[in-house]
Amino acid sequence: MTATPGTAARLGLLLAWIAVLAVAGWALGRGLRMEEDLRRFLPTPRTPAQVLLVDELGEGPGSRVLLLALSGASPEALAARSQAFRAALSARPEIALAANGEQGGLDAIPEHLRPYRYLLSPTLDTQPLDAAFLHDELQQRVQDLGSPAADLVEPLLPSDPTLETLRLAELWQPANAPQRRLGVWFDRAGAQALLLVQTHAAGFDSAGQQAAVAAIDAAFADSAQGLADAAGARLEISGPGAFAVAIRDRTEKEMRWIGTADTIGLLLLLGLAYRRWSMPLLGALPLASGGLAGLGAVALLFDGVHGITIAFGFTLIGVAQDYPIHFFSHLRPGQSPRASVRALWPTLITGVASTCIAYATFLFSGVEGLKQLAVFTIAGLGVAAASTRWLLPRLVTPARRDPADSRVLSRLWRGVERLPRPRAALALLAVLALAVVAFAPGAFWQNDLARLTPVPPADLLRDAQLRAELGAPDVRYMLALQGADAEAVLQASEKLPSVLRKLQADGVLDGYDLAARYLPSIATQHARQAALPDTPQLRQALDEALVDLPFRGDAFEPFVEDVATARAAAPLTPADLAGTPLELAVSGLLLQGTDHATALVSLTGLHDPQALAQAVAPLGAQLLDLKQASESLVAQWRVRLLAALAVAALLLAGTVWLALRAPRRVLRVLAPMALSTLLILAVLRALGVELNLFHLVSLILAAGLGLDYALFFDHAGDDRSEQLRTLHAVIVCSLTTLLVFSLLALSSIPVLRAIGGTVALGVAFNFALALLIARAPAAGSST
Amino acid sequence: MNPRSNTARWPLLALAFALSGAAAAATFDADWILQAVARPAPSRTVFVELRQSPMLKQPLRLQGEYRRETDGRLVRQVNAPYAETTTLADGEAVVERSGREPRRIALSQVPELMAVQAGFGALLAGDRELLRKTYDVRADGTREQWTLQLLPRDPRLARSLARIDLHGRGAELRCVESHPAKGPPQLTLMAGAAAAAAGVTDSAALAALCHGSAAR
Repeated sequence: MTATPGTAARLGLLLAWIAVLAVAGWALGRGLRMEEDLRRFLPTPRTPAQVLLVDELGEGPGSRVLLLALSGASPEALAARSQAFRAALSARPEIALAANGEQGGLDAIPEHLRPYRYLLSPTLDTQPLDAAFLHDELQQRVQDLGSPAADLVEPLLPSDPTLETLRLAELWQPANAPQRRLGVWFDRAGAQALLLVQTHAAGFDSAGQQAAVAAIDAAFADSAQGLADAAGARLEISGPGAFAVAIRDRTEKEMRWIGTADTIGLLLLLGLAYRRWSMPLLGALPLASGGLAGLGAVALLFDGVHGITIAFGFTLIGVAQDYPIHFFSHLRPGQSPRASVRALWPTLITGVASTCIAYATFLFSGVEGLKQLAVFTIAGLGVAAASTRWLLPRLVTPARRDPADSRVLSRLWRGVERLPRPRAALALLAVLALAVVAFAPGAFWQNDLARLTPVPPADLLRDAQLRAELGAPDVRYMLALQGADAEAVLQASEKLPSVLRKLQADGVLDGYDLAARYLPSIATQHARQAALPDTPQLRQALDEALVDLPFRGDAFEPFVEDVATARAAAPLTPADLAGTPLELAVSGLLLQGTDHATALVSLTGLHDPQALAQAVAPLGAQLLDLKQASESLVAQWRVRLLAALAVAALLLAGTVWLALRAPRRVLRVLAPMALSTLLILAVLRALGVELNLFHLVSLILAAGLGLDYALFFDHAGDDRSEQLRTLHAVIVCSLTTLLVFSLLALSSIPVLRAIGGTVALGVAFNFALALLIARAPAAGSST
Repeated sequence: MNPRSNTARWPLLALAFALSGAAAAATFDADWILQAVARPAPSRTVFVELRQSPMLKQPLRLQGEYRRETDGRLVRQVNAPYAETTTLADGEAVVERSGREPRRIALSQVPELMAVQAGFGALLAGDRELLRKTYDVRADGTREQWTLQLLPRDPRLARSLARIDLHGRGAELRCVESHPAKGPPQLTLMAGAAAAAAGVTDSAALAALCHGSAAR
């Protein structure tokens, strides 16, 4: 009998262990780069749409746009609030752009770009700068001078008598903007002031979106200052980013109460099971160590850890929570903890090794996300098992009581022993389950990522309303034009508007926006330069136009100079826009790589994708369906996962075979988990649940749990005391797991429900089937 | 085109017009004038407006009428040298020119205009208190020949508008003289003064008409 270490040594080891975990956690928290984009977790893209989606867009420009509505005050008050709000938003670093319909006027066009107005504006494409045009324009200017707006217009006139600058500013307003009332955008009913906000953070970056939404709320609060009338105004935020933030908040809130309930439940359960309050704490250490080891291994081997790796990984290593429980239930007076764990080790390591070998198949799946998952789970399970084997026994004091002495358990076990081994009935059950899985109506797989984090229908409806009112771009569809460089795609995209305007008239779509609207191709700019009159021609046209007008003859000299500058200037390129308000609009729609460029056309109110795709195809434009592209990636991911799982199942069976070396025992161990998996699938299918990746991962966890239950029942053999201890361990294991996952199943978030429901079902089936099938024939009953 | 009615000139003028023509009270002060010039809608009065600009060979001379409708709309209709109608309602100005799309201009877009509109709205409602919050109001002269000076209180407004002088006789508002922070004053002759300005082109004579110093 080995001497147990003294209290001081135990306490020292415990504190050292906790310290190592704390330091590792701190270091990982600082050094770990988290990726949030789900697409990074998906397989290598193949189709053009997939490539664009994954490599260039992340998500469409539409995903950065938030729609804001102000309501609950008089239109005048709302308009004033909208102005103050926009000003406050513009000052926020999280906000790239805030628009409310207020015309930025000249602010939108930097001073040094002003002579370029004749190259950027389409006015002169159809209208030569001749005497007739100038006369008509100048007549308007006379009226402008006699109007209440005179003070505003007057300073512009000497250099810009056609007010081209203002025309450009108006042209550059968001396409399909809503009606303007009191100077700002309002909905059609005139009851809500509307704003558009573009965030710097991408749509999938929920932390960045959270910061942006917080900034919007803060700016809204700030804008109430000095506007007593609008103090009661309400703010609504809609759009992909806002939804991501809402679902994140909801998930965190639900996880908080679920986590609290879990903690209390687990403390009670473990405390009750072992009557020692140190057990719940000690039992948590292997899992915590495994989790940190998994994270550390992924951080070491990969560039960044994906959020999904962490979610899936922690789900999968949940099985490690059972390791200390098996150990604790096998403690008994008169045997040192280390001896107990040594007796248990072969069974434990069989479960761990076979699971790890199975997960190793993920390494060869060719999917980055699955590789990360494999590294995470193998490192996690390995460390959790090792710490249960070598560290935990040094911390645990010898047991004062043996679960095998429990009278309740004995009675229970006698009941279990009387159970039949219904081979035929179970075979029939398997066939029935298979039939349900195969023939239940409804789609088998769920590929739509959005359905995993669903937006309430009312919010979606509201979003559609606001999107229609604001003419905000569609987040699903867009057009793409590929070419060798920016000039090539700009030239190609300039052919689109004539087709798109026709489609607009036919009701195929409501609107569109493209980079060439802000920055024409060099070719177009050259053509416009060629159309500008030279200085003598312009002077003559001007003199002719001024004959019967009250303006002084020399009033427009600066205009003549500007036109001369525009004629001779080098055309503007995307690089020239750096630092101007136009940079943002253009960069979102014009993607430039090293050897190629993509021009995007964002779409509004697309009613007939098919017709649009057909109409623009001859012009080299392609309709991208981002939803379809991401769904096809998910489907690809699943195919790889299923292939890896098939190999994993074979490897797992082989490992168990090697460990047990008896066909009947192998069958007794593997049958419960195989049948359970089938039954879970049958129940889910019968309930009309469409399966997603989270169900799949949960099925893997459930199978891992089932394998351990069966292995331990098998390990107990026909020794009555061992059988009782194993029964104790498996009951505690399944109750804790059932508690955690049935609480998750109660969640309103489909992802959590999918994981919770699947695992909870799995625990119940695996427990029952392990008892029915895996227990060794009772000693004496067969003799 | 993006014309903002970035001027205090005509809304105030229209307001003053709206308030014109009440009976004389016993004492003379700003309150007396404000009460005196108030008149119920609908009402109309002709105006002659002179616009000076360094770009113009001579001042632009507009003729037309201001109308106040029963539904609260204020209309500024230019008849010569061109036709243009501007309607002010619900904080918005709608400008209509023959053969062109009407343009809508928000009065609230510029903070200065918000203040102007608040003072304007207050006066329409007979809310002299609110007017005094927006402007420092000073009266000068006699009931027969008075001047009402409006000095903006908001420093931002004061940056573009130095002051507005309203000149009148008894219950008749005869001229609105707007002094921008930069540039020459802009005159709008109304009612009797507008009629008297017919055929007068000399700017000194017109200024005299505005100030009421010209002999009748």
